[in-house]
Amino acid sequence: MTRLTRRFFLTTTAAVSLAAASFAMPGLSLAQVTPKTGGTLVATWGGFEPQAVFVPGGGGSSPLISSTKILEPLLRMDDKAEFVPVLATEVTASDDFTAYDITIRDGVTWHDGEPFTVDDVIYTVNEYWKPMVAGAALSNFTGIEKIDDKTVRMTFSKPTPEFFFKNVLATSLVLPEHIYAGTEIATNPINNTPVGTGPFKFKEWVRGSHIEYDKNEDYWDEGKPYLDGLVLRYWRDAASRAAAMEAGELKLGIFNPIPAPDIDRLTETDDFVATSDGYLGAAWASTIEFNSRNPVMDDPAVRKAILTAIDRALIADVVYFGRARPGTSFVSSVNPIFHNPDLPKYDFDPEKAEEMLDAAGYPIKDGKRFTVELLAAGWFEENGKVGQFVKQNLEDIGIEVNLKVPDRASSIKGIYNDYDFDIALSNHASQVEQVPRQTNYVTTDGIVKGAAFRNANGYSNPEMDALVNAMAVEVDEEKRVEMAHKMQEIIAEDLPITILVEMESTTVHADEVKGIEGRADISADSLSDVWLDD
Amino acid sequence: MKRLIITRLLQIIPLVIGVIVMNFVLIQMAPGTLLDIMTSEQQITDPAALERMRELYGYDQSPIIQLLKYIYSVFTLDLGYSYRQNAPVLDIILAQLPSTLLLMLVAIGIAVTFGMIAGVIASVKVNTFWDVMISLAAVFFFAAPTFWLGIMLIIVFSVWLGWLPVGGMTTIGVDYGFFGHIWDVIRHLILPALSLGLFYMAIYTRVMRASMLEVFSLDFVRTARAKGLSTTRVIFAHVYRNALLPVVTLLGLQLATVLGGSVVIEAVFSWPGIGSLMLDSVMSRNYPVVLGVFVLSAVVVAFANLLVDIAYYRLDPRIRNR
Repeated sequence: MTRLTRRFFLTTTAAVSLAAASFAMPGLSLAQVTPKTGGTLVATWGGFEPQAVFVPGGGGSSPLISSTKILEPLLRMDDKAEFVPVLATEVTASDDFTAYDITIRDGVTWHDGEPFTVDDVIYTVNEYWKPMVAGAALSNFTGIEKIDDKTVRMTFSKPTPEFFFKNVLATSLVLPEHIYAGTEIATNPINNTPVGTGPFKFKEWVRGSHIEYDKNEDYWDEGKPYLDGLVLRYWRDAASRAAAMEAGELKLGIFNPIPAPDIDRLTETDDFVATSDGYLGAAWASTIEFNSRNPVMDDPAVRKAILTAIDRALIADVVYFGRARPGTSFVSSVNPIFHNPDLPKYDFDPEKAEEMLDAAGYPIKDGKRFTVELLAAGWFEENGKVGQFVKQNLEDIGIEVNLKVPDRASSIKGIYNDYDFDIALSNHASQVEQVPRQTNYVTTDGIVKGAAFRNANGYSNPEMDALVNAMAVEVDEEKRVEMAHKMQEIIAEDLPITILVEMESTTVHADEVKGIEGRADISADSLSDVWLDD
Repeated sequence: MKRLIITRLLQIIPLVIGVIVMNFVLIQMAPGTLLDIMTSEQQITDPAALERMRELYGYDQSPIIQLLKYIYSVFTLDLGYSYRQNAPVLDIILAQLPSTLLLMLVAIGIAVTFGMIAGVIASVKVNTFWDVMISLAAVFFFAAPTFWLGIMLIIVFSVWLGWLPVGGMTTIGVDYGFFGHIWDVIRHLILPALSLGLFYMAIYTRVMRASMLEVFSLDFVRTARAKGLSTTRVIFAHVYRNALLPVVTLLGLQLATVLGGSVVIEAVFSWPGIGSLMLDSVMSRNYPVVLGVFVLSAVVVAFANLLVDIAYYRLDPRIRNR
């Protein structure tokens, strides 16, 4: 199962040399650096200010970052895709996997002093998770009951895989019942001043500038957080963020905070560190999908030819400044569990692409083979550039391309509501677990007009539907992996959608910022382990 | 004078209605609605939940009804509620508008003061080294994009010299007391106000210089000189006062564009004004906030123009006697 990746190689060799070092010098361990307490960390991310500090149901990366310092999930995922306890200390499945007992942590209080109880969990599951957060993931959920003061049992009508279930627990936040009960969660004004159990308390939000957090002195994890305070600053302009880092006003930037060329310039000085770890839980990709409603696009031979005609390595190099790599499957290659490495790659070969189109019955007539409407979603600046590259590549093999790069609202409507495209260039950030968020891109159930970031290509394949349904209830983890591999084989063959390039998200931080390693998703991390070494 | 003020105040009403209708129509014409953005961000696919949100946001009514309701509520001083921010629109805007106004006023102050001084110097020393230097500087600042100028100022004064902060309006998490706070804001204000102001300063310099030169050639200046007045007195009592009128006109015209320019500068300096709110609201088709920002800005610009008219009235006796 283990593939020899660069990261695997680096970690194993590091482990080996560490082991060797500790043999040679007993008593000396590099891992034991005592974190220092104190200091305020000023952090930012590569996007804009959130619309609210906490947006129930999601709201994108920005509110995810601002809310997860205050509100916590029951579990979290680490960088090896293993689950670590947060508000739950134990999660055990029944023998037939139709029930899970969740034991909650003792002695946890909300920021307003109220105790955290199982009633909060029951309220959250019934009123928040089921209707707003994890509706599709909890489609077999039948109920939640209190076993005792520390334990609740969630029951399901069908077997529920453990990894799948724990992933729901790790990606859904727990809300205080005493604050939300009887109100509309989505529109409660408290969402701008949330009360949680997390390491940081909300202090102040100066709109247009920053959100300030205080240390939670009563945090359940003794001795944490190490920081006295946290500030999330927002700059709309990436170049200004780079300048702020250089001037020392900004110590941590997650999710591509500064322009790619500046990353190398800053890290050359040794005062800054750049890392691509911490994006396992949100592996960003630029995707290409073909609208099955168009008979030409519905032909897998055409899709394969088009993919073969696109120089994805060049796109990764030029548009993403090398911080990307050509996609090899619908499941990102950073996925440590489900990625299938043995698939046809569709390497760049324009001549072969032309032959494929000739063979598929689309020869050049009157100077062109056919015309396609190419829609590149305008929410990322890069997408428009990718669109230009794709247009040029396709025109080189005789396909006429009308490229459109509408703004965010228009792109969402064009792709996911009007299906007004032949080829769409969009993006997704995938979790390690594939059901249901990723599988929604390829299942018939995934087609919901007007609902964004799911099946817009109209692909409907009974074999795929059956496979995904089986994956949702398969409790043997090995078999689930096999099924995921099979799913990727079908996708690689039918190509309704696939990853054009895998984007390599980057965190840039000042050297003195420590303790940000070991996270599956740095955006959703509470930063309780982060400390300043100055 | 009174009549002028009253007519001007009454004119604000149709202006505000016009602003609302035009922007409402523009937002309606743009594809996608706030509902699309919110449901896609929150991954809401349940038809019942979609219907509930549609009702909540008022999308179940026809656009005409939505528009009329909105106009009515504006005249009862209620700018509506933004579900995206979970807060009343007026609260959101009032929290951020003052910072934008401060930035605008200081930038205009810099532009007018230094622009006029430079223009006067250039016109008095016409066709000398100083005139050429001032004109060159004016061309440079006029041509330089404000966001580029902003980043250059940051690099020089914040990154290299470390004299001034990179962005924001205050130092976060420090209590300096009242006067310390004012000094802190001034330190944060210098670079953004300069970046925004230098462009307009260039315009005022050019206009002031041209206007001064024009007045210099008029008969009454020759008369004044012939009377034996000192050069200083000729320049300040006769030429300067008369040359001022085009500058005042320009000031009124430019207030609205300075507001637009501040949106760009706010992005560069993370200045907590309405710029980022406006961009986000347009992008997410959040029309209550977009309209709210435009209505308030229209009122501010209209009032500022009223002040300009009053200044005009005072400066030029010919208008008073008309």
